[in-house]
Amino acid sequence: MQRELHMMFARPLYLFASVGVMLLSTFFFLTLMRGGAAENMPVAVVDLDQTSISRRLIHEMQATPSVDIQLVTNSYPEAREAMQQGKIYGIFVIREGFYSDLVAFKRPQLDFYVTNAYTVGGNTAYKQLLTMANLTSGAFQREVLRKKGMTDDVIMHRIQPLSIEGHMVANPWGNYSVYLVSTILPGILGLVCIMLTIFAIGFELKMRTSHAWLRAAGGNYTVAMIGKLIPYTFVYLVLGIGCHLILYRYAGFPVYGSHGRLLFGMVLYIFAMEGLGITLIGLLPTLRDAISIAALYAMLGFSLSGFTYPQMCMLPPVKALSYMEPLRHYYLIYVNEALMAAPPENSLFNMLALNAFMLAALCVAPRLHRALVYQNYPLK
Amino acid sequence: MWKDFVNELRRIFSDAGVMVIFIVATLAYPFLYKAIYWNEQITDIPVAVVDLSNSTQSREFLHRWSAAPDIKLTHSCTSMAEAEQLLRDQKVHGIIYFPRDFAKQLADPLGQAHISLFCDMSSFLYMKAIYLSCNQVMLESMRNIQIDRYEQMGMDKEFAWSLVQDAPYHETALFTPTGGYGSFLIPAVLVLILHQTLFFGICMLGGTAREENLDQYSIRSLIARTGAYFLIYYGLAAILLGFLPRLFDIPHIGDIGTILLLIIPYLLAVIFFSLCVSVFIRNRESGMVLLISSSLIFLFLAGISWPKEMIPQAWRWVAACIPYTWGAHAFIHVNSMGATFSQVTREFIALWVLTGAYGVMACVLFYIRKERGALRQKKEC
Repeated sequence: MQRELHMMFARPLYLFASVGVMLLSTFFFLTLMRGGAAENMPVAVVDLDQTSISRRLIHEMQATPSVDIQLVTNSYPEAREAMQQGKIYGIFVIREGFYSDLVAFKRPQLDFYVTNAYTVGGNTAYKQLLTMANLTSGAFQREVLRKKGMTDDVIMHRIQPLSIEGHMVANPWGNYSVYLVSTILPGILGLVCIMLTIFAIGFELKMRTSHAWLRAAGGNYTVAMIGKLIPYTFVYLVLGIGCHLILYRYAGFPVYGSHGRLLFGMVLYIFAMEGLGITLIGLLPTLRDAISIAALYAMLGFSLSGFTYPQMCMLPPVKALSYMEPLRHYYLIYVNEALMAAPPENSLFNMLALNAFMLAALCVAPRLHRALVYQNYPLK
Repeated sequence: MWKDFVNELRRIFSDAGVMVIFIVATLAYPFLYKAIYWNEQITDIPVAVVDLSNSTQSREFLHRWSAAPDIKLTHSCTSMAEAEQLLRDQKVHGIIYFPRDFAKQLADPLGQAHISLFCDMSSFLYMKAIYLSCNQVMLESMRNIQIDRYEQMGMDKEFAWSLVQDAPYHETALFTPTGGYGSFLIPAVLVLILHQTLFFGICMLGGTAREENLDQYSIRSLIARTGAYFLIYYGLAAILLGFLPRLFDIPHIGDIGTILLLIIPYLLAVIFFSLCVSVFIRNRESGMVLLISSSLIFLFLAGISWPKEMIPQAWRWVAACIPYTWGAHAFIHVNSMGATFSQVTREFIALWVLTGAYGVMACVLFYIRKERGALRQKKEC
C-alpha cells in the first residue's frame, strides 16, 4: 500500500483524472440545467387571416408568460424554414378566413405543428401551443357567454367542467435536473472507478513491474491486491460521498427514503465497478484492450440503466443485458430510496446483484495472479 | 509525405486497440443503440385505478382511456394507500384517482369535477405518456359535458356544438411522425459516435507515439495523419450517416449529397480538435481515463436532449467550440427535418471556421512540441 501511495502521488494525473473529472462533471451538470424545467421554447405564428381578431389573438398570446413567440409571419414556408434551421420548435397557424368563419359559427380550424426531432424542445413547444389553442377557444366561448349576461365565475365552470390535477410523484416541480443528474453523476463516477482500477493494475503489467509489486506484498496476491486498491477505494468513496452530499444536501435534491441506504447503495455500486474493473483486466490482462472494452461497456450503462428510456420497453435480450450494468442496480436503489421511500426489501435484489460483481472479481483471481507472475500477455 | 501517410495507416491497422475503437466500436455501437431503443413507442405502461365515485361517468372515462396504446389499466384498487403501495413497488407507474363526488359534480350544472393523476417521475417518458394520453381523453369528455350543459341552458344542440368546438385544432408532428425516442436520439448518437471514436483513437495513437518516442510533431506528419484519419472516417461516416438511418428505418428525409458534403468539414474539425488535445496526452491509457466522461458532456452541451435555449450563455460559448455541437445540429436538420444545404450554411461555415482554428492551433502546438523535443535532445547530448 505504501508503494501504491507513492506511485499514486508520483503520478498526480491519477488524482487529477478522478477528482478533476468528477468536479468538472458535477459543476457542468448542476449549472447546465439551472432552470430545472424547460419552458418558453420559441415558436412561430403564421397569420394567414390578417384580420383585427387574429392580430388581437396574437397580441394576447404574446402577453402570456409561458409562450415565447419568436416569429410572426404570413407565410408558412418561412416558418417551416425557421424550424428547419433550428430557430423554433413549433408553428401555430391561423388559417385564412378565420375571422369570417368564426362569426358565422363555421368553426374555423387552428393548426399547429411541432418538431419531434428534438424531444424536450418539441414537447415543451407542444404544451405551449395547446395553451394557445385553448386560450383562443376559451376566449371565444367567454365572449359569447358574456354577451348572454353570465358572470365570469359561472363562465369558468362552464368552460372547464372537468380538470386533471397532475401530481408528479417525488419530483413535484418536474425538475429535469433532479431526474437526470441523480443518475448521470454516479454513472460518471462509475466510469472513473472502472477505468482507474484497470489502469492501476494494468499499468503494472504494461510496465512489467508486477514482480516488484508482488514482492512488496510478500508474494501474496490477496495482500498485493488489497494494498493496491485501498488508496483508490478511499478516493472513490470520498468522491461518492461528496457526490451524494452535493446532490442531496447542497443542491437540495429530495430523498424521501433513507439517506443511509442510498449511500450504502452508492458504496456497493463503487465496489461493484471496481470488481468489474478487476474482472475485465483479469480476463484481458493487456492494459489497452481492457481499458477500451471497459470504456465501451460502461458507456452503455447510461442507456441500459433505463432512466431515460424505460427498461420495460426494451427487447428481452437487451433487458437481460441491462442486469449486467451496475448502474442499472444503483438507479433502481435510487428510485426506491430517494423517490419512492420504498421498504428496504425492495432494494435487496439490486444490492445483492451489486455484490455479484465483486464475486466475479474473485473468480478471475487465479487468472490474474498467473498473469502477474508469468507476465505472459503481450504489452500491446 | 506519402511515406508518412502510409506509415500512419500501417500504425492504425496494426494497433488492435485503435482498431477496436475506430472500426469495431464505430460500426457496432449504432447497432447496440438501435437494439436498446428498438421500440419507438412506449406502450402499455401499467396504471392503477382508484375509483371512489364508482359511477358510469368514471367508468366511461376509463373505458376511453384504456383504448390509448400508451397505457394499460392493470390494477383496480379500493384505496389510495393500496395504489401507492403498488407504485412504491414499481408494479405501476401511474395512478388515476376519481374522488367520491366526481359524478355529483358533473351532474351539477355549476360543478367542477376533478381527476387526480399521479405519475412516476423515475423516468420522464412515463409522465409524458400517461399525462398526454389522459389529457386527450379529458378534453374529449369535457366537450361532451359542455354540450350537455349548454343544452340544459336551452341552447340548441347545433349552437352548443359550434360553441364548444368554436376553434377546433388539428395537430401535426412534423418530421418524425412516430415521435419515438429512438428516432430522436439515434441521429444525435450517430454523429457523437464518429466524434468520440475519432477523438479517443487519435489521442490513443498520439499517446502511443509519444511513449515510443516517435517523431510525430512535424507539420508534414500532421498533414499525413490528417489524411489517413480522414480517409478511413469518410467511409465510416458515409455508412453511419448516409446508410444506417435507412437501414434502421429512422427518419431520413434529407438529401444524401448535402450530408456527404457536411461530413467533410465535420471530420476535419474533429480531427484537428483531437490532434490539439492529443498533444497533451502523455501516454495511451491515461488519456482514455480523462476523456471518457467527455461524451456525455458533449451530448448535453450541444443542446440536443436539453434544449439549447435553456443552456446558460457561458456554456453555449463553450459548446460553440466543440465540433460535435455544429455537426449534430446540421445532421439532425438535414437528415431528420429535411433542411436543404442553404438552411444549414450557418453550421457548415461554423465547421469550417473550427477546422481552420483547430488546424492552426494544431500546427502551433506541434511546432512548440517539436522545438521542445529538439531542445531536450540537445541537452541529453
